[in-house]
Amino acid sequence: MSSIKAHFTLLDHTADMGIKVTAPTLGALFENAGRALMEVMIRKRPAGKTSLCRVTVSGDDLPDLMVRWLGEILYLFEGEGRVVMDIDVDAVIETGLDATLHTVPFNPKRHEVATEIKAVTYHQIEVARNRDGWQATVIFDL
Amino acid sequence: MRVPGLVFANSELIRSIQEDQSLTQVANVAMLPGIVGHSLAMPDIHWGYGFPIGGVAAFDLDEGIVSPGGVGYDINCGCRLMTTVLRGSDIRPFMKDLVLALFRNIPTGVGSRGPIHLSKSEENRVAATGADWAVKRGYGKPRDLERTEDHGAMEGADPSVLSERAVQRGRDQLGTLGSGNHFIEIQVVDQIYDPEKAGQFHLFEGQATVFIHTGSRGFGHQICDDFLKEMSRSAFKGGLSFELPDRQLACAPLTSDLARRYLAAMACAANYAWANRQILMHWAMETFLKTLSIGPDELGMNLLYDVCHNIAKKELHHVSGEATMVCVHRKGATRALPPGHPLLPEVYRATGQPVLIPGDMGTYSYVLAGAAGSMERSFGSSCHGAGRLLSRTQAVKQAKGRAINRELEDKGIIVQSRGKQTLKEEMPEAYKDISQVVDVVEAAELATKVARMRPLGVIKG
Repeated sequence: MSSIKAHFTLLDHTADMGIKVTAPTLGALFENAGRALMEVMIRKRPAGKTSLCRVTVSGDDLPDLMVRWLGEILYLFEGEGRVVMDIDVDAVIETGLDATLHTVPFNPKRHEVATEIKAVTYHQIEVARNRDGWQATVIFDL
Repeated sequence: MRVPGLVFANSELIRSIQEDQSLTQVANVAMLPGIVGHSLAMPDIHWGYGFPIGGVAAFDLDEGIVSPGGVGYDINCGCRLMTTVLRGSDIRPFMKDLVLALFRNIPTGVGSRGPIHLSKSEENRVAATGADWAVKRGYGKPRDLERTEDHGAMEGADPSVLSERAVQRGRDQLGTLGSGNHFIEIQVVDQIYDPEKAGQFHLFEGQATVFIHTGSRGFGHQICDDFLKEMSRSAFKGGLSFELPDRQLACAPLTSDLARRYLAAMACAANYAWANRQILMHWAMETFLKTLSIGPDELGMNLLYDVCHNIAKKELHHVSGEATMVCVHRKGATRALPPGHPLLPEVYRATGQPVLIPGDMGTYSYVLAGAAGSMERSFGSSCHGAGRLLSRTQAVKQAKGRAINRELEDKGIIVQSRGKQTLKEEMPEAYKDISQVVDVVEAAELATKVARMRPLGVIKG
């Protein structure tokens, strides 16, 4: 499968980089944030046969859940060399989510890496309702 | 605020400092329990996450806290400088070959993995013994250890507190440079400010030097992440009796078991970083020998010093006139011990600690020597670099249509980088004027200028 593009905007931060993500539902917000993280990290993710990986993440509240969720996707890349091509959030509540990740093994010859993200930070983290649904702001440490 | 903030700057630097949120972050740090003296910021301060980058804060051991965000994700990100007996003019004709050879021999870039693959028990030994692990395996010489902060091994490292994920991420990243602002630079000493100290540091005008900037890689990032999450949870559940001004400032009382475990894990990452820089130094030396077809004596490459600039340490300082042990957080700040300080190795007891300050890849780096003012004003600390002026996205926007490598080559600087955007993000205009930063440090008597180097060749991730 080829990677699905996320709708997000990049936020300026002197040392690091942030994203602002919006979506009509909470599940779509978490999906979009995960896709945005991958797009910031890896510019080209060519189509390939994916394997499925199911993850369960828990948090104290929605902002904490967002940091832990994106941290999970970052770890899959950094620790296990898996590139996430797409995401289905199967269920989400304020303190936890279940998701299915479609991944391929990282191949430096095929995947063009754009930015090294060291971590997903709690700095100015925000997950909130807006008029049209949901929005989140997350800052990455580069 | 429990204590006042104190920013070292001149009128021009303070204008750029006021443009982002770094001063708010100085104020936020001043609200943390048990902070003593001032919430400090060095002249290269810029907006970080939680603590500002360029921030220094000391905490009382009984009343205070330790904060992983006050150390940063790249635990013991730091620098080392090697001197040679060669002149810059000797190697300039071979610069393209040298830069290409370094780029081939040193793993760079995002998620880069090196030829060293550690078993779990071997990784534990790296975490426990740091640069000594590398020296024992033939990377460098025993003399390098006394020229490394803390002799390249921080006390209290305990690998049993590490998560499986940290161990996994550390397994094959030893001996890698990474990406972003990390680099190896071939330089020439172009100005000597203090001939006596320069002589004691074995620095001379026209000399070729090599500068390495990197840290603890994914191993350190994971350790910071693990403990921030744990502390965020404990603070959230009322482990601390105050409201965090920023969740990234999550922390634990220094008297708690959580703080003890963090400091033990942080020391493991610090040691990993020292081993990493020790190995990269050795490979850089091998690359020089092979590319220039000369022997070790003809190259004469020796470690001048290695400093860390992301760390928390228990140190003895004067607080309200009394000698007191405090936990000093340096996040983007360099230790700068003055002459005579008992923690200095014999070789630098008279000069003060060498303080290594890298600039951007188009201008200068500096060697300073720690001065007495640092113990009076900044908990023995100095700046750590130029400090970013532009965000990465602003820099890429401004560099659109420009060939940064060509512009640098026109200035006599050969550059190789792995990431396509790295050179734009790291272009010289993205950083503050390093000379102003260093002048402020000298005027505040935190450290004094010894020598200045300019780049000849750079590899980046």
